[in-house]
Amino acid sequence: MSNHVAGRIRGKVWLVAMAGTCLLAPAILAATLPAKEVVPAATAVPAMTPELEEEIVRGGQAGFVATEFAYALGPDAKDSTACPAGMTGGARALIEGLRKRPEGQRREGETPQAFERRLSQTINTAPDGRNLCLNPEAGLPDPNWRMVTGSNIKVGGIDLDEGGKPAGSCGQKDFPGTDGKPGVDNQFYRVVGCMTGFQSSGAANGFQTEMLTGSWGILIALGKVDSLTNDPDIEVTISANADPVQLSADRKPLAFATYAVDRDPRYRAVTRGRIVGGVLTIDPADVRLHNVVNGAYTDRVLRDARLRLVVNPDGSLEGHLAGFTPVDAMYDVQFGARSARTAKGDLAPERARLNTSMGRAGALGYSCHGAYHALRQAADGHPDATGRCTSISTQYRIRLIPAFVVQTQTQSINAPLAVR
Amino acid sequence: MSRLITRLSTLAAGAGLCLALVGAGTSAARLEAQTDASAPAMVEPAATSGAPALRRLTESQYRATIADVFASDVPIAGRFERGLREQGLIAIGTSMGGMSPFSFEQYDISARSIAADVTSEKRRAQFVPCKPKAENAFDAACATKFIDSYGLKLFRRPLTRDEQARFLAVAKAAQVRLGGFHQGLEFALVGMLQSPHFLMRMERMEKDPARAGAWRLDAWSRAARLSYFLTNSTPDDELLRAAGAGDLDRPGGLQQQVDRLLASPRVEAAVRAFFWDMLQFDGFNDLFKDPSIYPAYNSNVARDAQEQTLRTIVSHLVTDSGDYRDLFTTRKTWLTRPLGVIYRVPVATRNGWEQAEYSAASQRSGILTDISMLALHSHPGRSSATLRGKSLREILLCQKVPDPPANVNFTAVDQVTRPGSTARMRLAEHNANPVCAGCHKLTDPIGLTLESFDGAGTFRAKENGVALDLSGSLSGTKFTGAQGLGKAFQENPATPTCLVDKLYRSAIGRATSDGEAPYLDYLGAKFAANGYRLPALMRAIALSRTFYAVTPPPAVADGKKSTKKEGSS
Repeated sequence: MSNHVAGRIRGKVWLVAMAGTCLLAPAILAATLPAKEVVPAATAVPAMTPELEEEIVRGGQAGFVATEFAYALGPDAKDSTACPAGMTGGARALIEGLRKRPEGQRREGETPQAFERRLSQTINTAPDGRNLCLNPEAGLPDPNWRMVTGSNIKVGGIDLDEGGKPAGSCGQKDFPGTDGKPGVDNQFYRVVGCMTGFQSSGAANGFQTEMLTGSWGILIALGKVDSLTNDPDIEVTISANADPVQLSADRKPLAFATYAVDRDPRYRAVTRGRIVGGVLTIDPADVRLHNVVNGAYTDRVLRDARLRLVVNPDGSLEGHLAGFTPVDAMYDVQFGARSARTAKGDLAPERARLNTSMGRAGALGYSCHGAYHALRQAADGHPDATGRCTSISTQYRIRLIPAFVVQTQTQSINAPLAVR
Repeated sequence: MSRLITRLSTLAAGAGLCLALVGAGTSAARLEAQTDASAPAMVEPAATSGAPALRRLTESQYRATIADVFASDVPIAGRFERGLREQGLIAIGTSMGGMSPFSFEQYDISARSIAADVTSEKRRAQFVPCKPKAENAFDAACATKFIDSYGLKLFRRPLTRDEQARFLAVAKAAQVRLGGFHQGLEFALVGMLQSPHFLMRMERMEKDPARAGAWRLDAWSRAARLSYFLTNSTPDDELLRAAGAGDLDRPGGLQQQVDRLLASPRVEAAVRAFFWDMLQFDGFNDLFKDPSIYPAYNSNVARDAQEQTLRTIVSHLVTDSGDYRDLFTTRKTWLTRPLGVIYRVPVATRNGWEQAEYSAASQRSGILTDISMLALHSHPGRSSATLRGKSLREILLCQKVPDPPANVNFTAVDQVTRPGSTARMRLAEHNANPVCAGCHKLTDPIGLTLESFDGAGTFRAKENGVALDLSGSLSGTKFTGAQGLGKAFQENPATPTCLVDKLYRSAIGRATSDGEAPYLDYLGAKFAANGYRLPALMRAIALSRTFYAVTPPPAVADGKKSTKKEGSS
């Protein structure tokens, strides 16, 4: 390495690429990852120049920041046989069903606005009076929910079981991968693949806006690394990014910017990994990332997470981050915001959680209790004592670019204002 | 023949059509004397000088003056006309440029915003030195106190009786028409702030009692020249007191003031202002980089790049009292995160600056490899060995390289992305034309050593896949790469000589004459004797007689024109 300044840095420096965690919600984001799964050139040996590799790997460390992050899903329903029974009806279908019943008729003196509000409240209210978005277990499965049932749908992602289904997978069938290999664990796609919001043009197809505006981000740091082509044993840290992504004037992320890791150790996963033929993989690790939508803070969790990233000639990493998301965590982060927090970490006001949850349901085309039961039905990991699976396999497409990852004080200069 | 003259002659001879290589404001004879080791003139020669100056305040001086006279948060609503750069310095342009109607309109806007704030109900207790007997009546005593107090600070001398009476009349007339005493003061202050006696530094002279037939600046003008030189701002209360009390004429009195100002943190502002001017950072106002080629270059980088170099200069020359020549080899620098993207280094500090040090393996070398130098002297879409070489010669060595002829063919050098080509190869093709080759012999051997940095300042080992040949030369010394270039500048005798020239010309606001060469040699010798420490050079200038000496226009000198009131011309 020839051309760098050794800054007086308080702590360790990793050269990393940071990854954005995903969020979901009524806030709609345009994904910049390809709308459909692209098969990474996994077999190609990257032709990175030695000079660039020297710039990225410094003193056995390399860092990356995520610049693109989205669910890895299968093909759109209209382009495949994934949804032979049609699309998930969602809240709209429940309301239409309600209109056919006596309690779904407009009452005398009821304004149109009040009538629509009552219908919405009715379908989101459990028999015991509780709101179904905040208490989805109180409701029944949504009869209008449609799971992906096609048998040979190629989906993006990696094999989380490394070949054979373990006994505790609750009988869920894997998908064939877009690279032709079998065994892709992606039951989350089975749940949402027939939902309008999760088609390639849907609102939940990417999380770029929040990530690039600094709401959250993802960093990956490699330690004890000698080569980005072949290195049998490296230390890999996946952490939340405490800084906004630095962008060019035309809002393209800039390589070799500096980012600080989140100081909360819960948002930092350390594991071993390896690079073989320019492909980075890791041993399973539990990963926790931030997710912020409309000021509602939740966590995006992956248990036994794995990475499979191709090192591109331009120094970027591209591939999948996947693992098992506890059903309740997946429900909270993607559907009902029942556990959403404020920026200060307190439980968000109930009205805010309700509005966020019901807004999401309307925008993405689902019912809260329907989503919850569908996640339970498709769960394929971490069985409890009764043998019931408690987590669902989830795959994310991710792209990262070279960056410097540092350990430093990350308290905002505005923190004193926030705690007033 | 001195070493430098030999080198200059060699350069000129090799320059073909570029025989116009000349010292800007520096005669060859002076350079010869300066670099002759046997002639360190440590005794100040008899003062030779130019005419008293009429200099317009620069934007930074205007702002600093208002901040010092009133407060830093007093609003200045007007905009400022771009400075006129003459002979390499805006400081010289301040005594040469005119004042456009637009500019005066902006001064009027600023004057009104300042006066309104100063006399506002919220702030008048802070700024008005007395309370009127009644708000709706004119209090002549209080108004006189206000006008005398700010007249002295803004005009940098006491008001004449006529001036005092005029501003009092304005204050009274405004009070009568508008009703409020402070509204009267507001308009009197607007008048002072619009006056050429505030906007321009009008130097006044008197006969030098120590030298028969010679003239010098009067005490108030000496105080102003000294203050703007050492602090880039108006004389403070103590300096005004000293000028009024005649302290500047007494032995030790001037030295006491000079040492006081040099010890104050305000000297940093003067050093910043001088180097901002010398390094031509006003060029950032026009600097454009193609975002598709240099995506990391943005307005934050443009702002921080200037500040990085100025911070490095201040910390090296003032805080650490370092050798000026080491600015071109120092590994210490300052960084922010936007700069770190271009330098490709980690910057842990999330908001603000952190001091850093180039690694031993780095190709960086002092301020020569700062973004402020590399990007400013490059094209929007590519680096430029020629622009860099030309600028470094003109800015740091005070050598003038002629502009290219109007009909030059740039085809070869514009083929930036031609596979397998480097700037050196493209320039070689371009220089096949002897009309071009002459000047490029002066610029390219310097600029090509910086080709390991692209047009934004990011390091690159290759261009178009080809390893870079970074060999070059300066004044007959051969070297390789930016570090070699930095060392060559560090060791080149023209480097400190040029600084002496520019600093002195900046201080007096005009070009120097051949007659002042012995004095500049004297300063050069003092600079060298003090280890090339900038504060010592500033002190030598500030304590010298020549700095305050003036030559009157012939009519005055011959006594054909009477001097003005208070004995000043």
